Amino acid sequence: MYAVLHLADFALQAVLRTTDGANRDNLPAALLDPTQRPPVIVACTAAARQEGVACGQTSSQALARSPQLRLLVPRPDAEQEAGAALLATAFAICPAVEATAPGVCTLQIDGVSPERREPALSEALARLVVLGLHATGGAGPTPLLALYAARHTDALLILREERAFLAPLPLAAADPEPAMASLLARWGLRTLGDLTALPKAALAQRLGPPGVALWERAAGETSRPLQLVVPPPVFTAALTCEFALETLEPLLFLLRRFVDRLALELATAALAAAELQLTLALADETTLAHTLRLPEPSTDADTLFRTLHTHLESLRTASAIVGIQLSITPTRGTLRQHGLFDRALRDPHLFTETLARIAAVVGADRVGTPLRRDTHRADAFALAPPATEIPPALPPAVHPAQGLVLRRYRPPRPVQVELSAPPAARPAWVRTEGGGSVVHVAHGPWRSSGDWWQNDRLWQREEWDVELDGLYRLVRTPQGWFLEGEYD
Amino acid sequence: MPSVPAQLSSLRQLLAARFPQAARPADARLLTGIPSVDEATGGLPRSALTELVSATPHAGAQLFLAQLLAVSRALPSRAALIDASDQFDPGSIPDEHLEHLLWIRCRSLQDALPAADILARDANFDLILLDLAAESRTALRRIPAHSWYRLQRAVEQTHLAFLILTPVALVPSAQLRLELVRAHDLSAQNQPRPQLAGALQVTPQRQRLAASA
Repeated sequence: MYAVLHLADFALQAVLRTTDGANRDNLPAALLDPTQRPPVIVACTAAARQEGVACGQTSSQALARSPQLRLLVPRPDAEQEAGAALLATAFAICPAVEATAPGVCTLQIDGVSPERREPALSEALARLVVLGLHATGGAGPTPLLALYAARHTDALLILREERAFLAPLPLAAADPEPAMASLLARWGLRTLGDLTALPKAALAQRLGPPGVALWERAAGETSRPLQLVVPPPVFTAALTCEFALETLEPLLFLLRRFVDRLALELATAALAAAELQLTLALADETTLAHTLRLPEPSTDADTLFRTLHTHLESLRTASAIVGIQLSITPTRGTLRQHGLFDRALRDPHLFTETLARIAAVVGADRVGTPLRRDTHRADAFALAPPATEIPPALPPAVHPAQGLVLRRYRPPRPVQVELSAPPAARPAWVRTEGGGSVVHVAHGPWRSSGDWWQNDRLWQREEWDVELDGLYRLVRTPQGWFLEGEYD
Repeated sequence: MPSVPAQLSSLRQLLAARFPQAARPADARLLTGIPSVDEATGGLPRSALTELVSATPHAGAQLFLAQLLAVSRALPSRAALIDASDQFDPGSIPDEHLEHLLWIRCRSLQDALPAADILARDANFDLILLDLAAESRTALRRIPAHSWYRLQRAVEQTHLAFLILTPVALVPSAQLRLELVRAHDLSAQNQPRPQLAGALQVTPQRQRLAASA
């Protein structure tokens, strides 16, 4: 049993699926063949046909009928992408797949149980719609019959009565040579049924081997082994943009197409994405490459897309984008049993996305888990990426911290300090920008210093806790007196 | 005549509608370890905003925050601090109480609210602290009320406790509003912090009934 997924007007669909726009399906568009002089239309959308556009017209003729017509030219990279999407969809059904022709792939579905065949093909057609392609499907006992079925249906056709199906089809369905087609037309033969009604031997006497081959094709008797393709070992999608991209939306649109296809390929290969490598070719002939490591391997297209989206939201490029490439580093998916007392992240992907979005707001260097540095220098800390799993809590400290918590001024606020008479020499009056205040109580001093072996890092300080109108930490350094913060 | 399960279901719905607080799950509140809070309110409500007003300077807002970090670390759960004025001092907190913390050092109030909005939608957190206590009252009053309602709507979908530290009563959508009423003097610096936290005087100013579960 064979099945065929068929994309009518493949070159046109391939270009159209890279076209951003909500009304893409109703767009009057036509594909020109630029190799002909003058270029003529070789395919057009249903909306264009309704407005009188037809194949064989020149661009002027077509535009005269449809002023809103969008003229497109074939794009090999878009066709390659569309072909890859078609193959990825086919491989999701079964592993025996042939890339028969551009926009046509044939599957040997003997391994798929009969009751699963129709649902699987329907799912494949729906998946192709998500990937931006409108396909038809057919299934029959031979590759040729499956192809006929796919070509002559609007959705999905599974052949059960081959003769009844073949008889009314036009002769052109069997792809006769032009000379033979005109000869048969003169004989008054219009359909495959007309042709197969003639005796095969008599036809062989008159038309020779080409006639016999045509008769066999018309009768659906031709069969052949499939030339199977192997799924690609790499997960990469690339496209050169028709127009330079200056905003985020069209870029995201194309990336969504990439991600949908690559996620499907990964899932089919039982792999998951570990890293995303996004390379943007810019109009100033430079490239911008970013590697985005996922917190957890994933095949979920939404997760992969959100990762890219979050990254791109904060990205600014020096010039417009003219090319995109997305590569995925595959890995084996992780299977994990969540425990009752699990302290790991509930949603690692969302967490990573949250961090990226917050980093876009406040800056990547201003978000993280604080780690105190191994020094007595004031305000010495680093921000580390948050742990994916929180270690178990330790028992309460035998000697807990003391006192109120400092609310630290960054930078410290310079003040003028008057000291009491020696020998006490304690802060007695503090003058800030806002005015002065008597020091009611002062505790200290606590002196510390460090890094004395490095001239440029040497520090020295004298700390006082003082009560003014509130509770403050007062610090004397070689640079003067400062209010370092308030206790709260 | 409805079946028994249907009757039970309708009875549960009726009870949940009439006694919404009773219908919340058992851990619908985060115990703070501060007797004046836990005894009066049962702890910080989850899936809701709590406002802690620190109108008196040096009343212990940072101490309250440090206590919540200690409590959430012991659970353990994941916490985030949105530090609008970048005044949090990691050096004042034991290292162990920082391991579960995500610290967002904002440059301004304009950074803090979007960050809060983003974090409130992440199910990985159990506690979010938004510290606006050092911001000017004028700037805080310019925050439109709908920002707080938006935040409330986001938090309602989660199981996190969201605490906002403010210098003045500000958040119209707060389910619980607490006020720190007593300033400390310098002798507090010689007392163990757990003892100080336990002695914090916090007064509930507003306590709305929780939304129905």
